[in-house]
Amino acid sequence: MRIRRRDFLKATGGGAAGAVLRGRAWAQAKPIRIGYTLSATGPYSVGAGITQGTGYALWLEQVNAKGGLAVKGEGRRSVEYVTIDDRSEIETAVRFYEKLMGDDKVDLILPPWGTAMNFAVAPVANKYGYPMIGPTVSSNKLKELSFPYFYAILQQPDACMGAFTGFLKELKGQGKVSKVGVAYVNDLFGIEMHGSLTATLKDTGLEIVDTKSYPLGVKDLSPVLKGFKAAGADVFLGLTYPPDNILAASQAKEVDFNPPVYLAAVGTAFPFYRDRFKGAEGVSGIAGWNPKMKYPGAREYYEAHVKKHQKEPDRWASAFAYGSLQILERCVGEVGLDRKKIKEMLDATEFQTVAGPIKFAKGVNVTTPGMVGQWQKGEFEIIWPKALATAPAIIPKPAWA
Amino acid sequence: MTASLLFDILVTGLITGGIYALVALGLNLQYGLMRVLNVAHGEFLMLGAYVTYSLHTGWGANPLLTLLVTGPAAFVAGLVLHRLLYARVLAQAEAREAIESRSLLLSFGLLFVLQNTALLVWSADLQGYSYLATPLRVLGAVFPANRVLAAVVALGLSIAFYVYLRRSLVGKAIRALMEESEGAQLVGVNLTRLHGICFGLGVAMAAVTGSLISMLFELTPFVGLPYTVTALVVVILGGLGNVAGSLLAALLLGVVETVGVYLASSDIRLISSYAVLSLILILKPAGLFGR
Repeated sequence: MRIRRRDFLKATGGGAAGAVLRGRAWAQAKPIRIGYTLSATGPYSVGAGITQGTGYALWLEQVNAKGGLAVKGEGRRSVEYVTIDDRSEIETAVRFYEKLMGDDKVDLILPPWGTAMNFAVAPVANKYGYPMIGPTVSSNKLKELSFPYFYAILQQPDACMGAFTGFLKELKGQGKVSKVGVAYVNDLFGIEMHGSLTATLKDTGLEIVDTKSYPLGVKDLSPVLKGFKAAGADVFLGLTYPPDNILAASQAKEVDFNPPVYLAAVGTAFPFYRDRFKGAEGVSGIAGWNPKMKYPGAREYYEAHVKKHQKEPDRWASAFAYGSLQILERCVGEVGLDRKKIKEMLDATEFQTVAGPIKFAKGVNVTTPGMVGQWQKGEFEIIWPKALATAPAIIPKPAWA
Repeated sequence: MTASLLFDILVTGLITGGIYALVALGLNLQYGLMRVLNVAHGEFLMLGAYVTYSLHTGWGANPLLTLLVTGPAAFVAGLVLHRLLYARVLAQAEAREAIESRSLLLSFGLLFVLQNTALLVWSADLQGYSYLATPLRVLGAVFPANRVLAAVVALGLSIAFYVYLRRSLVGKAIRALMEESEGAQLVGVNLTRLHGICFGLGVAMAAVTGSLISMLFELTPFVGLPYTVTALVVVILGGLGNVAGSLLAALLLGVVETVGVYLASSDIRLISSYAVLSLILILKPAGLFGR
């Protein structure tokens, strides 16, 4: 510590420099510290690496290239992350967030990846009064729990499933589909999505011919798919996580199940999915964003992301992860690092991000509607709702490549 | 229940069981013979799968041909690991219990080292490829062709190994060690050398199973552990050190699980396999075919 101070004094010319210079030197010496955990290992690491970590890294590079994060009344200060791998263990994440806010007293925090993780960390953030904007949380329970400092920026299950059923209802009206086979992963995410789905599907006139749940880490979905096929389902609706999503798609081809509409949840919007299934032409799923959307900065974000990481952002939550940092950036620029004031601003402001306009009401983003996307010639086109569509839907889905 | 559904369930169960058989045989060689509880067994499977993945996607190698690489390479790796790590533990331990607990700790360490190595080399992203992802129609039922192929190869290797154990001199020595360790040594069986060979064979079987399942599932560095657990269940079911028992137990487990999945849901898979295990342990504590 002493050596550092001596170096510091030397660097600033023993305090003889002018006030402006000293101010600038301070900016270099005392960066803004932002703490978080992400899963670099364990089952959550796949999603965390695709959706969240890349956005965090990109934003950090960009903001520091600008000379730092503009803080109201202080000018620009460089940003550094304080982070560990939470190994997909919820208790590890909770402990580290306790340390970040209780002992280290970092300036700001960012959320971990995934619904369950965010659920566990949200009360801690709330206790210490740190605003936290979660880009990878989707749960109806959030509204009931009410943690004032927690903000969910992603579309929640009601919105996502509302989009699915809205889309299916229209197809039903056109006489294109009538029978739905539903498979869902048996954990908080799948169960909540399934709850929302059955509620919204009720008065669409669509018939659910079969519903099957399966555990996380399932190794064989062919019995489920064969069952749907035998029941004559013309819509496959999978409320999936990435590994089972990929398993379902490979096995659908293997057991010759190619319904006119194939809808799945987490993972479909990953560019990896498209590459894995030779374009995945006609496969649909939950969407939230694509680089064709006319939001300010969307295209630039996409290009910067590809340039930095040599991989594309996903077409659901990636842009929201980056957008949450844009929101924080704007808040700090306008009200400084006072976390209470940041919260007040989050509650009252409509923000413009690469993921579109975002306004929170009771901690939930109420601006972004649920969307359905479909892989078409390499892009996950938004096909529902019509107001945001970037391409018309292809029904029936072409044969598996 | 119609005949075609019965046929469907039976074949799907045998497909699952065939893959279980090979991975369990490897573990049985280590645990049954040496009492080395190698919880890193699944990690060798994971590494085998990744090597096949890399050879297939990088050089266009046929996944089946990569078995010729992963098998021997894993065998050598197993020999080296045995010489460097396990032989010492085995030499120092006096009682069987000591061997179990020490080898357990050792292989836990190995598990983390191997997982993190895979993480550094292949990253945590999901990776996979499609091979023979086509429907195979048999008697009106549809099966994934790649699964059928993987199961046939796995079962073939398992049976070949069983025959090898029964016929060859090394096989006889291994069986002798399993049945009566001290007596076998008295008649000139080299314990350390055979232990090394068995450990190597066990690792090779895990790696080869990995090569086969890379055709079926997406890979992450964490895919291994569930296979270790399944293999343990099969080994206990079939009886420690009983190769034929492992084979039959694996097929039985595969069929029982599939029946559960068809009749109820996929959620029941683990429940049904543990129910069978508990039942057998209560009725026949030495395993189905244990002595």
